[in-house]
Amino acid sequence: MRVVIAEDQVLLRAGLARLFEDAGHEVTATVGDADALLSAVARDEPDLVVADVRMPPTFSDEGARAAGQIREEHPGVGVLVLSQHVETQHAVALVSRGGFGYLLKDRVLDVQEFIDAAERVCRGGSALDPQVVATLVSPNGGDDRLADLTAREREVLALVAEGLTNSGIAKRLFLTVNTVETHVRSVLMKLDIPGTDDGHRRVLAVLAYLRSAQPQHQH
Amino acid sequence: MLLVRRSSAWPWVLAAGAVGLGALAVVLNALAGVRGDPWWQVVLGVSALLTSGAVGLLIALRRPGHRIGWLLLGNALVLGAAFLASSYGEYALLERPGALPGARWAALWDSSSWPLLFAGVTAIALVFPGGSLPSPRWRRTATGVGVSFAALIVAELFTASPLNAPFRQVASPLPALPHAVITPLLAVGYLGVLASLLAAAWAVRVRFRRAIGIERLQLKWLAYGACLIPATFLVCFAGVDGAAAFTALFMLMLVVVPVSVGIAILRFRLYDIDRLIDRTLVYAVLTLLLAGAYVATTLALAVAVGSGSAWTTAGATLATAVAFRPLRTRVQNVVDRRFNRARYDGRRQVEGFLSNLRAGRAAPESIQGVLADALGDARLELRFWLPEGEVYVDARGRAVLDSPEDTRARTPVRRGGVPLAMILHDAALDERPDLIQSVVEAAGLAIEIARLRVELRRQLDEVEASRARIVAAGYEERRRIERDLHDGAQQRLVSVGLTLRHAQHELGAHSNGVGGILDGAVAEIGDAIAELRELARGVRPSQLDDGLAPALRELAGRASLPVKVEATADRFPGALEAAAYFVASEGLTNVVKHAHASRVVVCAARDDGSLVISIADDGVGGAAPARGSGLAGLADRVNAQGGTLRLESAPGRGTTLTVELPCAS
Repeated sequence: MRVVIAEDQVLLRAGLARLFEDAGHEVTATVGDADALLSAVARDEPDLVVADVRMPPTFSDEGARAAGQIREEHPGVGVLVLSQHVETQHAVALVSRGGFGYLLKDRVLDVQEFIDAAERVCRGGSALDPQVVATLVSPNGGDDRLADLTAREREVLALVAEGLTNSGIAKRLFLTVNTVETHVRSVLMKLDIPGTDDGHRRVLAVLAYLRSAQPQHQH
Repeated sequence: MLLVRRSSAWPWVLAAGAVGLGALAVVLNALAGVRGDPWWQVVLGVSALLTSGAVGLLIALRRPGHRIGWLLLGNALVLGAAFLASSYGEYALLERPGALPGARWAALWDSSSWPLLFAGVTAIALVFPGGSLPSPRWRRTATGVGVSFAALIVAELFTASPLNAPFRQVASPLPALPHAVITPLLAVGYLGVLASLLAAAWAVRVRFRRAIGIERLQLKWLAYGACLIPATFLVCFAGVDGAAAFTALFMLMLVVVPVSVGIAILRFRLYDIDRLIDRTLVYAVLTLLLAGAYVATTLALAVAVGSGSAWTTAGATLATAVAFRPLRTRVQNVVDRRFNRARYDGRRQVEGFLSNLRAGRAAPESIQGVLADALGDARLELRFWLPEGEVYVDARGRAVLDSPEDTRARTPVRRGGVPLAMILHDAALDERPDLIQSVVEAAGLAIEIARLRVELRRQLDEVEASRARIVAAGYEERRRIERDLHDGAQQRLVSVGLTLRHAQHELGAHSNGVGGILDGAVAEIGDAIAELRELARGVRPSQLDDGLAPALRELAGRASLPVKVEATADRFPGALEAAAYFVASEGLTNVVKHAHASRVVVCAARDDGSLVISIADDGVGGAAPARGSGLAGLADRVNAQGGTLRLESAPGRGTTLTVELPCAS
């Protein structure tokens, strides 16, 4: 993968770059703000962008907005947004469009899972932070159908929402792929989500469902 | 320099001359013995001369350019000359004939100069108070007055008639002119002088109708003094011993008019005229009524008990004494109502307000409206003085700056020498200082109470504002700490973790167990980051950056029971959103701890300029904000932002906590 990294803190930027390089990927540029990011993307046409949500000058959501712009202008570029804390609002909105990832920053410490997620996003898949997913699939949202799921089914649903494939889920839960498939089908049926064999589209459908199950959305 | 010296010397010279003439006259009068004038005439004459001279001297010294000072000094000289002529004649012609030369001239002057005694007053009335005639058209009148007086004096000097008493037997030292000349001269003189007196009165009237403010007060002073002239005639008509009473009243007038004129010109106690007129009227009426009552009681008792009894006098005195106070109030009211309607109404309005105030039917702050009504000036404004801030404020405690373009007149209100307030009113009201003074005096207590209340409210507002600022600063501080934790410590830890991962990578296959140690270290770092994140969320949820609704949803997602969130997407000021969030957080904590509820609904909505947040559960109810509980702390925080907290918690019917936070704070 050819990666562009946008992060305003120098140490962290360098650490991220090393992380990708250690994993055998090429880091074409490391930048400190959204404008530099946009020009680096236009210049390098990378496979993946890793961007901090908060960047100068206002430290609010420059990274997220730049990410959206990149997805629109360069559909081939996957975007992985890193955040210091859980922001359900932005996260779900971004990720449910595909080719997006949204992870908490400390996920980078779990190198293998992080690189997996990055590669998934690079291929057009999704990656949504487990903590964000946890609030989405919480039975407190007021959706009765989520409450109907068994604990195992909710676990599987959460991993689907994180963007994992059946085999990824199987590996994570120490189950066979067949068992996972059975659970997934059951979940989709209970939630009345149309089934599809395409892994990516299934994730998006699940996310769209979870998103609509959330009370009162703004975006 | 020269001018100043001359103008400061001449008044002294003239006054000294007048006093010298008077002193000489007093000496001669004493020498004349029984032939001299009676003692009261001497006292009145000397008083008239001294007042005229003293007031004239004072005015001429203080305001050398003012004609009236010189007129009064002239009048004093005329009086001195007349007095001396009379005494000189009496001594040198009647007591010891031939003792002094020119005695016949003195007798002639005594007989013929009397018009000059009126001339002074007439001239003063014509040019009072400014020193010039009412208008240039009056110049001809003034000439006429001068000619009339001159004609009368000339006619008196050259008439064939005998001299006045007591010099009837004395022959004039001047030759008599033929009747054909004297008669028309006398006619012109008498009629002219009469017309002059009327013209003088008319001039005062004309001026008074045109006058405003101070000039009006000055004219009132003159009129007050000159009232003795008609009084003189009244006494004469009443048949009281004609000559003596006339002389007495005339001389009294000559004492009073200069004093009035002096007060008017020098503006010393100028504003007391209305009160003086008022008092005079009140006491005159009161005296008449009491005298009547005394006489009536005496007569009635005399019929009942028999005359001459000591009981009659005692009873009448007692009745009069008892009647004095209530009668005085009544008469004062009647006089005010008749002659000073505005003041009467004004005071009554203020007194009515005061009794409403005592009964709790009126608020002290409405005193401005009462003053406006009482003084008949709708634009009247009352500004309270706050000594602490050294600033004037309105009834709501807002500071008001005095703008120089504001042409309204300003009357300060003081109580015991301490400034209380400032009244801004129509400049026309300055003509009625008695009205303002009377109304403000009556309203003094109410103004003081209102001022104290305004001051208290202002201080309370300041305390509340500072409390709100402190709370807001607290929220801002939380935000800063949250940012610091996320962007500082947390990121630093991630960097360290990444470095360790890199080290692990570099070690590769030759790690010899170090890799496992590093894994453990990274896991520790991960835990530390998770704890920091939790800590930061407790300080302030970062979702608040995106608004109240996301923050509440995040809060609901963490709760251990189903929470439905119905939150407006509207944005509010940061401190308000934070306050609302912590209300919801505290409310949810209470529900979880005490309510045994199965469901909770959290609502946040904008309602008429307020942010209303409610937390309703279906639990056991019966909650009460105990001292020191979370709910009490919550109430404090809500109050600090000017909000209200309401708790509905009937046992068994769930609990609803509703908090209303005003947006404009």
